[in-house]
Amino acid sequence: MAKERKKATRASRNTGGRKSVPVGRARAQRVIEVPLAAPDLLPALDILRDPGRSVDARLEALQTIQAASFALLDFDSVRPDYIAALRQAAEDQDPELRQRALGILAREHDGFAQEALLEGLRDPARALVGPDKALQLLSYDPHAGVYPIARDIIHTSEDESTRREALRVLAGDPASAAVIEDVLADKNEPSAIRRMSASALHALNPDKLQRWASSAVLDTAEDADLVATGLTALTQFGDAKAIADNKQLRKRMSQLQEQGPAKIKQLARRFVKKYDL
Amino acid sequence: MQAEIQINNSTTPAARYLTWAPSPCRVRITNPAGSPAVQLRVRLGTRTNTGGGSVAFAAQAGGPYASTLTVTVPVNGQSVSFFVRGVFGKPSFVDHDVIIEARARSAPSSGNWRLLGTLPVMVRIRKNANNLTAGERTRLVAAFAQLNDQGLGRFADFREMHVNQSSPEAHGRPAFLPWHRAYLLDLERELQAVDPSVALPYWRFDQPAPSLFTPDYLGASDALGNVQLSATNPLQFWRTDNVPGIVRRPFFDPAQAPAGLRTEAQTLALGAQYTGFRTLEGNPHGSAHTSFGGFISSIGTAARDPLFFLLHCNVDRLWAKWQLQNNRFDSGVAASYDTNNPGNKTGHNLVDTMWPWNGITTGDRPPFAPGGALASSACVSAPGPQPRVQDCFDYRGSVAAVAQMGFDYDDVG
Repeated sequence: MAKERKKATRASRNTGGRKSVPVGRARAQRVIEVPLAAPDLLPALDILRDPGRSVDARLEALQTIQAASFALLDFDSVRPDYIAALRQAAEDQDPELRQRALGILAREHDGFAQEALLEGLRDPARALVGPDKALQLLSYDPHAGVYPIARDIIHTSEDESTRREALRVLAGDPASAAVIEDVLADKNEPSAIRRMSASALHALNPDKLQRWASSAVLDTAEDADLVATGLTALTQFGDAKAIADNKQLRKRMSQLQEQGPAKIKQLARRFVKKYDL
Repeated sequence: MQAEIQINNSTTPAARYLTWAPSPCRVRITNPAGSPAVQLRVRLGTRTNTGGGSVAFAAQAGGPYASTLTVTVPVNGQSVSFFVRGVFGKPSFVDHDVIIEARARSAPSSGNWRLLGTLPVMVRIRKNANNLTAGERTRLVAAFAQLNDQGLGRFADFREMHVNQSSPEAHGRPAFLPWHRAYLLDLERELQAVDPSVALPYWRFDQPAPSLFTPDYLGASDALGNVQLSATNPLQFWRTDNVPGIVRRPFFDPAQAPAGLRTEAQTLALGAQYTGFRTLEGNPHGSAHTSFGGFISSIGTAARDPLFFLLHCNVDRLWAKWQLQNNRFDSGVAASYDTNNPGNKTGHNLVDTMWPWNGITTGDRPPFAPGGALASSACVSAPGPQPRVQDCFDYRGSVAAVAQMGFDYDDVG
């Protein structure tokens, strides 16, 4: 398997597959029939498994089988063959096919896929997908194995997308709250990274997020997107009594209703309306 | 003099919502001071805010309906019944944008009608998600975000209802459509508990919906498949399964419709028998799910994406259109359902109660039942807290008024 994976990785380099593949290939305009009995899925399974078929045909077969999984009474009878075909496709030379197969397997919490993804994060030479995609797929079933890797990525990676996915994974790890808080507080971090940190902190410690939100709104030097995120958090999830007692915040809201970018004014008005200030 | 108007025979503000179906209403004189007569001729009409909804009145549920209705009301406080319904094609856009007025002549032969009472109502209708106003979008996403409440809110129950283990209750068998109708209604009523002006919109997946897939609404996907939301969108705090965010990677240009799906016309042409029509479960339903990668493309994760509910709202709308086209509102009519399928497991026969609302966790049901009974409505009594399959057919009360479920679609008249 490892040999095959190296081969796949080499292929991905040749096709630019190290990074995540953008929006998938367009399909034909014709109506694609979705079989409603398991035996009728077998031809599609054959196509999916056949490296000799075109990638477009294999992707269409994959999509047809997956659509049938929503509707088929007896889908379980083909599930083992389907999982096996997905595992094979996960190591295919085509990056789009690999990514889609790994996505389906990851959503099923498939151990083969999880181990392959972790292995790729530990050793990029063996990666089937880019590290950002691997982290995203591992977030379907985050467990202890991925948290140390994700924390390490926060400190060592320079790729924004990968760091953002690492933060998403860490949102499920209470031990990472301090790391996330640090990133949120660091104004040198990109806005998108800090916004993801806000979402992650909101998940781990909503009270801390609310305190940060108040301070961000009061901070006249804060990035406008972060102010908007803070305002949205306060409006949507704020504690009415704490807000009513916060004279500084109320005063700031009065200012923001009249000043600044339109989106901030709009949010400030929504805030004032909600809390009847 | 003063009059009280009751919508859906209730004084609670939560009952002041209408659909295209007749709502039973009452009017009574609460303060007869100044009236020398024992009864009054009371004219019911409306004042509508600009661009707002429109309603019509009738003395009987069957009509005829008109923009005004004059009824004779005793001054002793006794109620007089009448019916109101939304005028098809003229839904509301904001809460309470229609004001119902009760007026009586100032004097027996006077041309002046004195105002006795008013009541604001809304014609609350499920609409095409792509066409919602900015205000409607804002209220919808805020209600979803509140229901999710950082993953700890009531939404978690809805996420838990639609998982691999519960799939046989809802998929691959005849109750696919009734089960999802109850599921959507349950969610919609919870959204309305957050904001009563919200109706679940539908994603018409056979048409382009460029407005829907934007950062201010349900989000625009980046290359990785992460849904990007603006800093003003409360869905940025969406969290399911302890993980923030939404993964949704379209395999089509979001400015266009997904390819390969049956169109509405093709779906409605699947036949007049339910056994034929329900093959829509594969295409367009399954195909719409798998026109993306990410949460929505697998049964076990699909309900993690708010888009899931808009997708299924369109599936339900297609069923509603098919029901209207073929007069299939009566579950007692054989062609309305697949009653003779020997493979029907419990939960798929007309008289069966549906999981999880029935709370049954034994036998061939899943060993868990999240969420409790189906949410109640101040407007209607159906389908009840533990709906049966057969309770989900006559949603507009065509066969029996009491079966109304309290929703309607903007293009199903």
